[in-house]
Amino acid sequence: MTDREPGDDGLGARLARDLPRYTAPPHVRRAVLETPTAAPRPVWVTPLLSAAATALLLLLVGVGLLPPRAPADPARRLVGAVVTEHTRALRWGVRHQEGLPAAWLTRESGIGVQRIFTGDERLGFVGAEPVYLDRERGMALHYRDVEGHLVTYVVLPAGTLTVPDRRRVQIDRFRPALIRDDGFSAWLWRQGGVACVIVADMAAPDQLDRFKDYYLRVRLATEPFPAE
Amino acid sequence: MADGDFRREALGHLDALYNFAVYLTRNPPDADDLVQETYLRAFRFSDRFQPGTHLRAWLFQILRNTFLTFYRLREREAALAEDGVPDWDVPMFHDAPDDDRGAMDAHTDLERAMRRLPEEFRTVLLLAEVEGMPLEEVARVMGCPVGTVKSRIFRAKERLRVLLKDYGTR
Repeated sequence: MTDREPGDDGLGARLARDLPRYTAPPHVRRAVLETPTAAPRPVWVTPLLSAAATALLLLLVGVGLLPPRAPADPARRLVGAVVTEHTRALRWGVRHQEGLPAAWLTRESGIGVQRIFTGDERLGFVGAEPVYLDRERGMALHYRDVEGHLVTYVVLPAGTLTVPDRRRVQIDRFRPALIRDDGFSAWLWRQGGVACVIVADMAAPDQLDRFKDYYLRVRLATEPFPAE
Repeated sequence: MADGDFRREALGHLDALYNFAVYLTRNPPDADDLVQETYLRAFRFSDRFQPGTHLRAWLFQILRNTFLTFYRLREREAALAEDGVPDWDVPMFHDAPDDDRGAMDAHTDLERAMRRLPEEFRTVLLLAEVEGMPLEEVARVMGCPVGTVKSRIFRAKERLRVLLKDYGTR
């Protein structure tokens, strides 16, 4: 390297001189030599692909302009909105926060907390943010478990929401409803004047016990209330 | 560039790419796969290569991107052996020159220290110092500004010195 940093004690030169170099073994060389080159693309492919891409784009824009079909059941609609928030966090990531900014979160979300689950050895806290879901302000807290599952906990004003009885599951002394949506599992329950939802991509039967455990960890350590 | 010329020139970088792949994957069988995958992609997308630009940097960029996409996760999973000792910390057989024992140990330490560096530090040292790439080419391979490359080189060397000190070599 010509543009060496001042203070370099020859480590760069030593690397160039002493670091063992590996040469490609014969079988790799043979495999690479036999790698086929891309066949030349027929002349009609490019315009055809362009036309197909344009048609697809128009279709996507058209679909996007249609009014979304929201489920009539308020519980399902709420869970659907939380699942959308969860997938957004999965896709775009969550800004990591060292501590939980409780005062700011209450101010921005309209949800207060007496106590809040800030993570433990199994479920680490990732970040928290105010959200606007199903026409309500609320808060979302994201955790990640030791296996890498993102777990999203959302609190919104409960309003007149009713938790569907037929979906309730007994966990310890609580009975939240278990709702599946789009490949995700969600716990839904009312607590004081707020509705709480926990979502994770833990829809397999053998993941249910762990998902129950996550519910208990959050439920026992969190006491939210409507601050407005 | 004609197809035959492109292949010929690309194959001229095989050993350098293989060496880079071994240090990235820390595992020769994975390096075999990574290099083959790199050439497969390079030949498949040869029409995207702009003649007159640096083929070497383009190939290294494909290799690194392929590594980051497909191999890193596997690498992270395999990072710790059952006894908790990183398996890549075990000295490997390699083509080190067959000279005296002290020099051999120094080679091994240097190699072990390199293997312990984070990927971005390993990459920047391998490209800039071992392959002798100009900083602009390194920046292109790593997809970052030249200034970032410089600071990574500086920090990588600092980290490498500490590791070498741990091994008792300078």
